[in-house]
Amino acid sequence: MESIKRTVLEVIYAVLPIILIIYILQFSVLSLPIDDVIQFTIGMILISTGLIIFLLGIHLGLLAIGEDIGTKITLFGNLWIIILCGFLVGFVVTVAEPDVRVLATQFDMVTGGTISKSTLIISIALGVGIFVALALVRIIKSIPIRNILLASYALVFLLAVIVDERFVPIGMDAGGVTTGPITVPFILALGLGVASVFKSKDSATDGFGLVGLASVGPIIAVLLLGVLH
Amino acid sequence: MIEVIFTAFYDIEYTFLEVLRAIAPLTVLFIVSMVFLLETTREQIIRVIVGLLFVLIGLTLFLQGVYTGLMPVGEKIGIVLSNLSYSWMLIPLGFVLGFVVIMAEPAVRVLNYEVEKGVGGYITQNTMLITLCIGVGISVALAMARVLYGIPLMYLLVPGYILAFILTKFCSSTFVAIAFDSGGAATGPMTVAFILTMALGVTSNIEGRDPMLDGFGLISLVALAPIITVLLLGTLYSMIEKKNARQYEEV
Repeated sequence: MESIKRTVLEVIYAVLPIILIIYILQFSVLSLPIDDVIQFTIGMILISTGLIIFLLGIHLGLLAIGEDIGTKITLFGNLWIIILCGFLVGFVVTVAEPDVRVLATQFDMVTGGTISKSTLIISIALGVGIFVALALVRIIKSIPIRNILLASYALVFLLAVIVDERFVPIGMDAGGVTTGPITVPFILALGLGVASVFKSKDSATDGFGLVGLASVGPIIAVLLLGVLH
Repeated sequence: MIEVIFTAFYDIEYTFLEVLRAIAPLTVLFIVSMVFLLETTREQIIRVIVGLLFVLIGLTLFLQGVYTGLMPVGEKIGIVLSNLSYSWMLIPLGFVLGFVVIMAEPAVRVLNYEVEKGVGGYITQNTMLITLCIGVGISVALAMARVLYGIPLMYLLVPGYILAFILTKFCSSTFVAIAFDSGGAATGPMTVAFILTMALGVTSNIEGRDPMLDGFGLISLVALAPIITVLLLGTLYSMIEKKNARQYEEV
């Protein structure tokens, strides 16, 4: 009960300032038609309600299972099983990621459907899957995070030079949107599960870095999509 | 009035179907791993079913609000603001919006919580949150400047990432990992749906701006700024730690 109350309050505190800023703008410089203001307000109510229900759903059941899967797959001790599971989890959570959908919708709107919404979503999901798998291997083999990040970003900037420049901004953005409200708790839980079994030097901290790596994958994937296009 | 309420729920069945399709692979993965991998208790099964139902309903309402409320109005706000003679005010407004929107990101909350738990309270949730808010505020302000003046994305990203990789030299690897995590987590649905839409509205209204080149890219700047701020925080922490260690030796 206490956690429900906290979630509700957290969301309200988070959403109220945005509504206030828009209202202040409305009365100072915007002067939009009243219908737009109502439309915005209803949208914000839907968003807050949705956010509360969504967060409760994540905390009620999904996070614990994510951690269980992470712990369980490492018990097999087979690197390939871990890689496969990391890939699968990364892929399925990205397909469910709201930010990815919103960005793909905007991309579709701007380009008029040169590249379909689902092609973009699937490339992003493939990128995340591959890099979550890579991140799990990193935890198990205790590879320094800095080295992997440096190599990945070097590849990103190399691809950015080759590809049609119009693909660079959307590619870079794809990296940011993958890591939203489903992906973050989920792959963090998975990583912490894997790290706790493989108690390397400091197991807790090695669970981190997953989200960061997961955001490089889709950049590379979308830039490659641009090269192929 | 009634028409507006109608608009808000327009095509909600499509949003519902979209979310259903979006969480279907996840549901399959859950079922498969619960059947073959985990020794699932009755309680866990109930938890997962309720959890998935909540996610389904929550995401549908959320996306519906984004599609019918935030996106269309966000674009209009962008257009109106870029028409102003003092359109430079988009830059400070960007700072405020970035600062405030990041407080609304559920992913940031989850990350802060996991970070505090993971490092045993060494970094409090509030320190993380304020640091992220300032970082994102600066990046949205920069993104707005970019849209207004047509600065190429790479002019900001390349120096930014070089700075980030230099800073990683001075931080512990815990901070490096957390920093790059926070970059990704900071860019949630609110940033994408509201701030990016606003920026796309601005690009559509200023002559010579291409939304593909000048509008998109905002998210990547939002992702970069927290990386740098958290790394700065990390550098500060390791400096304090070193100072404390020296004082300890002296005593």
